[in-house]
Amino acid sequence: MRVITLLLSVCFCMTTFAQNFNFGKVSKEELEEKFNPLDSSANATYLYKYRKTFFEYRPEKGFELVTEIHERVKIYNQEGFDYATKTVNLGKRGSDDEEFSSLKAYTYNLVEGKIEEDKIGRDGVFESELHKYANQVKFTMPNIKSGSVVEYKYSVTSPFVSNIDDFVFQHNIPVKQIDFKFEVPEYFNFKLNTKGFLPVVPVSETKRDKISFTNKERTGGGTNSKAAVTTSYSTSDVEFTKSITTYNLENIPALKDEPYVNAINNYRSSVKYELSYTKFPNSSATYYSTTWEDVVDKIYKSNNFGDELDKTGYFETEVDALIGSVSDPARRAMLIFDFVKSRVNWNGYYGFYTNDGVKKAYKDQVGNVGEINLMLTSMLRYAGLKVYPVLISTREHGVPLFPTREGYNYVVAYVKLAGGGFLLDATNKFSVPNVLPFRTLNWQGRIISEHGGSELIDLYPNEISKNTVSFMAVLDNNGNLNGNYRSVKTNHEALLYREKYNNVNKEDFLEKLENKYNGIEISDFKVVNDLDLSKPIIESYKFSKESQADIIGDKLYFSPFFFLKENENPFKLENREFPVDFGYASTTSHRMLIKIPDGYKVESLPEPAVLMMPDNLGVFKFNINNEGASIQLVVDSQVNQPIISALHYQALKEYFSKIIELEAQQIVLTKV
Amino acid sequence: MKVKYIVLYFSLVTTLQIYSQEKSHISFTIPSSLKENANAVIRSNQLDVTINSVDDMTVYEKRIITVLNKEGNSNVEAFVHYDNNVKIKTLEVLVFNQLGVEIKKIKKNDFKDVSAVDGGTLYSDSRVKYLEYTPVSYPYTIEFVCEVHTKNTAFIESFTPVNDYFLSVEKSAYTISFPSDITIRTKEKNLETLDITKEALQNKISYSVKNMEAIKPEDHSPALVDMAPKVLVSSNKFTLEGVQTEVDDWKAFGKWMYQDLIKDTHDLPASTIAMIQNLVKDEVTDIDKARKIYEYVQNKTRYISVQVGIGGWKPFQASEVDKLGYGDCKALTNYTMSLLNAAGIQSNYTVVYAGSSQRSLEKDFAAMQGNHVILNIPVENEEDLWLECTSQKLPFGFIGDFTDDRDVLVITPEYGEIKHTKKYGTDENLQVISGTYTISDAGFIDVNVTVNSKGIQYDNKYWLETETERDLDSHYKNRWSYVNGMSINNMHINNNKLDNEFVEAISFVAPNYSKIIGDRMLLTVNALNRNTNIPDRYRNRKLPLKIKRGFKDVDEVEITLPTGFTIESAPDNASIENEFGSYKAEIIIKDASTIVYKRELQINDGDYPKEAYEAYRAFYKEINKLDNSKIALIKNQL
Repeated sequence: MRVITLLLSVCFCMTTFAQNFNFGKVSKEELEEKFNPLDSSANATYLYKYRKTFFEYRPEKGFELVTEIHERVKIYNQEGFDYATKTVNLGKRGSDDEEFSSLKAYTYNLVEGKIEEDKIGRDGVFESELHKYANQVKFTMPNIKSGSVVEYKYSVTSPFVSNIDDFVFQHNIPVKQIDFKFEVPEYFNFKLNTKGFLPVVPVSETKRDKISFTNKERTGGGTNSKAAVTTSYSTSDVEFTKSITTYNLENIPALKDEPYVNAINNYRSSVKYELSYTKFPNSSATYYSTTWEDVVDKIYKSNNFGDELDKTGYFETEVDALIGSVSDPARRAMLIFDFVKSRVNWNGYYGFYTNDGVKKAYKDQVGNVGEINLMLTSMLRYAGLKVYPVLISTREHGVPLFPTREGYNYVVAYVKLAGGGFLLDATNKFSVPNVLPFRTLNWQGRIISEHGGSELIDLYPNEISKNTVSFMAVLDNNGNLNGNYRSVKTNHEALLYREKYNNVNKEDFLEKLENKYNGIEISDFKVVNDLDLSKPIIESYKFSKESQADIIGDKLYFSPFFFLKENENPFKLENREFPVDFGYASTTSHRMLIKIPDGYKVESLPEPAVLMMPDNLGVFKFNINNEGASIQLVVDSQVNQPIISALHYQALKEYFSKIIELEAQQIVLTKV
Repeated sequence: MKVKYIVLYFSLVTTLQIYSQEKSHISFTIPSSLKENANAVIRSNQLDVTINSVDDMTVYEKRIITVLNKEGNSNVEAFVHYDNNVKIKTLEVLVFNQLGVEIKKIKKNDFKDVSAVDGGTLYSDSRVKYLEYTPVSYPYTIEFVCEVHTKNTAFIESFTPVNDYFLSVEKSAYTISFPSDITIRTKEKNLETLDITKEALQNKISYSVKNMEAIKPEDHSPALVDMAPKVLVSSNKFTLEGVQTEVDDWKAFGKWMYQDLIKDTHDLPASTIAMIQNLVKDEVTDIDKARKIYEYVQNKTRYISVQVGIGGWKPFQASEVDKLGYGDCKALTNYTMSLLNAAGIQSNYTVVYAGSSQRSLEKDFAAMQGNHVILNIPVENEEDLWLECTSQKLPFGFIGDFTDDRDVLVITPEYGEIKHTKKYGTDENLQVISGTYTISDAGFIDVNVTVNSKGIQYDNKYWLETETERDLDSHYKNRWSYVNGMSINNMHINNNKLDNEFVEAISFVAPNYSKIIGDRMLLTVNALNRNTNIPDRYRNRKLPLKIKRGFKDVDEVEITLPTGFTIESAPDNASIENEFGSYKAEIIIKDASTIVYKRELQINDGDYPKEAYEAYRAFYKEINKLDNSKIALIKNQL
């Protein structure tokens, strides 16, 4: 088998043809190709992706950023037709905007052995104002068929020189060849950050270049002179060094999404250039950020962060009244935390910077993440506590691997107390200390200390979230089941429950719960501590459900988990490349007591069992015994780590599959 | 003394006035019946449509809505669409807390302004201004005032007091005013049980309704649009993007559409006409010719939606589609029509409401309706054919659940006519499973199965043809999700477009399928088509039962039992028949180690009163139970 694979791949290499990536030089072979030999499931492939980003000096504007794009795309089938439409977003801020120009685009088709080309017309290009901060250009190619090749080039000129779009190597379809180039004059200093699993090696060189200025000089024509006015022109050159980085890659596989991946973009291969400083002749350097200390310092010194933290006047009266009679720091912290949660509502916007400012947020009772949690931080400081803002990158934002301001998109507060500290996030009404909303559970946050320094803090909770179920039921001889259910949930299990339960129509909630178990009938439904966040949430009800046992001959068969049984393995893929991210560690325990019908006795019970995942990642314990007419079951399932590496995927999949089997084991009762 | 009285009098009046004005801003005053099942309550809605002339219409709306919880935020609907023909005169929002105190005012320029393209559209010249507001507490009340002027009078907003579930109405009023030279037609729907008043004057018609309770969505019920009260309004004369017309019925409406929007778009180049004639020259029947042309269009074009001005209503020129190879539903339908024409086949442009809910055009109420276009081909002495021209994948003449079984407007050159599209009957929506499986003495299952699907069951599966192997693998594991630990050895798919038949041949294995308990083995016989879904239970079902499409499943599976085991007991044969359909399950013992499992399930489409829902659910519960029937095998004693 191995040998065959090897041979096949040799064949592929041999059939690969020399390609010409000059614009318009699309070959017959490219058009004839029926599928990507390296990935037959690809609906389209970038045959060529070229990008050059460089700085250009314009006398009237200064430096501008120019990006030239040239792409050639093979479309294998109808599923790949989306790649015949390209969307380019163009930023704008006031009168500054990015400009799209020089579009050339063709579709190539093979018709009866001949290459036919169709040029894009004006009717294929659409420009629109997306919103206040962005314009958009879309173009769509003519005459697309399965097998077409499209090729286009265009430029974007941008005044936002510190904002370099990521160079992205890996896409949702494969790429055959990439040529990327980034040219920077010595006045700009960028830091390079690489991410993803692909080995990417930049090639760097430097070159001399010059800017020519045209000087206009007028002589004569003075007030007292009758001499004619003469204007003379001279040019002067400013020489400088530019550094050129190129990336040449071949055969980059497509990035395929998998379930339970917190952000697929974390794994997408790309490089990012972040401006660290500028230094122009005859002036001193302006620093942006190069180290985490710089980043933190920049953020702290920004008006929308540090200054906002220092404001206290707007809340003093209320906070004084709130905590005046309380001296215990922990209690003060809780009072203020609850006050901010009830006072200010999150508008759904992320960001560690404030938007409209803490004062306005306080007054309007609405704010973004920055406003709410910076306000919280400054109130807690005002109350005499040691509190620090913590920068966070949310789950879908990815992992901040490099020191950049854009690495983070969220902020919470860290309270340091004698007995240890805790994290607070007031944007979620049900969040409690150290139980942050699910969106924030992503590796580590960065605590910003008073003197500019920073340190890291784990965001994945240390404490395991628990769900403890007690289940007492009576089975009758028709297979009907009646009983009581009670569950006690802590930490994130409680947070998620409150998010689902607290703000919805209660009758609707109940109906959904009943139908989740294929229509059990629930009565005496009760939820305790839904509003008292300091306590675990307790849900309890009485239930009845038909057909919970198979009656075959004089025997009754049933699985002791009844309707609570897990039926499906969430992990269906045969293989996996990325870690599985649960967000938090959890334990679910079931204590079950089942009374069997009169006139029956237990004929057989499943065996007790213990399952372990490698590295103590998880444990499943199944214990069962029977005394007289009752059967007792103690089942504990524990996932000890929030993240499980892809290396353990097979074990994880097997583990879940085994749990399903164990839960489905049958108990046999026989008529006495 | 006198002065005092006057002051008192005045202040009394003022207070009363304030009170009456603000009543609907206060959340406490909502009657409790309107709060039940409601996420939001429309306190009062006043919609005034004034037709000033055939090409000038003013629409004024003042809506006061109290939002009770987070889910209700989407009912605020404080937005307005506009384009070159629509000018916004007034746009303002006031927000009140639950005591009725104004807490915020949002003016026109504070509304977000974005391009109104959705996911499926490449470009549109329409824009939308919308309110972005984060509530500080619930309940809160929004007063939304909006006035627009438009030159398009083709769409007169209808009186639709409720457009969503979980939304109740305290009061909603509607007026339409019009000049004497314009005639207004109305059509009332589902008003019977309402507290409604109506006034029809010479130049003005008004409706007003009070106290409508919220509707809660329920499984297998009619679509909201078919149940909600509505008054449709249309004028006999109107203007659409500068094109003026006068129509009274579908006949004239169709004629207008043909003459003004369609007729002059059939400009094919001579070379294309010749090519098409050459393409079909060997085909004898019109149907075979049409099939060839349809497949040609499928290979040549793709769906791209661009909406500009009258182009939002008029198809692109056929020559344009011929050149570019793309277009929206109007353009692609019109292009197909032109090509068919070139081959001498008559076909008709057809307006429809697309979507699986089978919404019909209003039969006896001619007005701009529908959201999609398909093609109709009349066939002598047979059912008409319908073509979906935006799909590159559907077989010729197959429309699936997107446009089936509903009233549509067919436009011929001479007139418009309401026709009914193809209904996929219960017997046509057939899935036949034939397979074999073997159980080992360790409970391991080894399956070979062929699934053959037609009709709507074909529609549910044909897209699998182009899935990647990885996604197909997941798909089948999901389809047979109750088989734990399954691994698939073989998947083969055959999409027979000529007969609209989808054939899947799958083989898979799984350990521990059959449960071993001591000397016994418990085998759930139905391994390949178990019903796992029971319709939701409602404590108090309110809506009628509707089964939109029927279907039939026929399974026959030969099972090889492990050697060394004997059947201890097997489930009895089952047979159920009722108004909803029928179910049959049968086990035939062929020899000591071979049995055959036969199953037939038929569900009929139909409308039933709400009282029937519990019986329908019970039917499914019984099916569910029978599908889980087990055979007990016992080890032979040596």
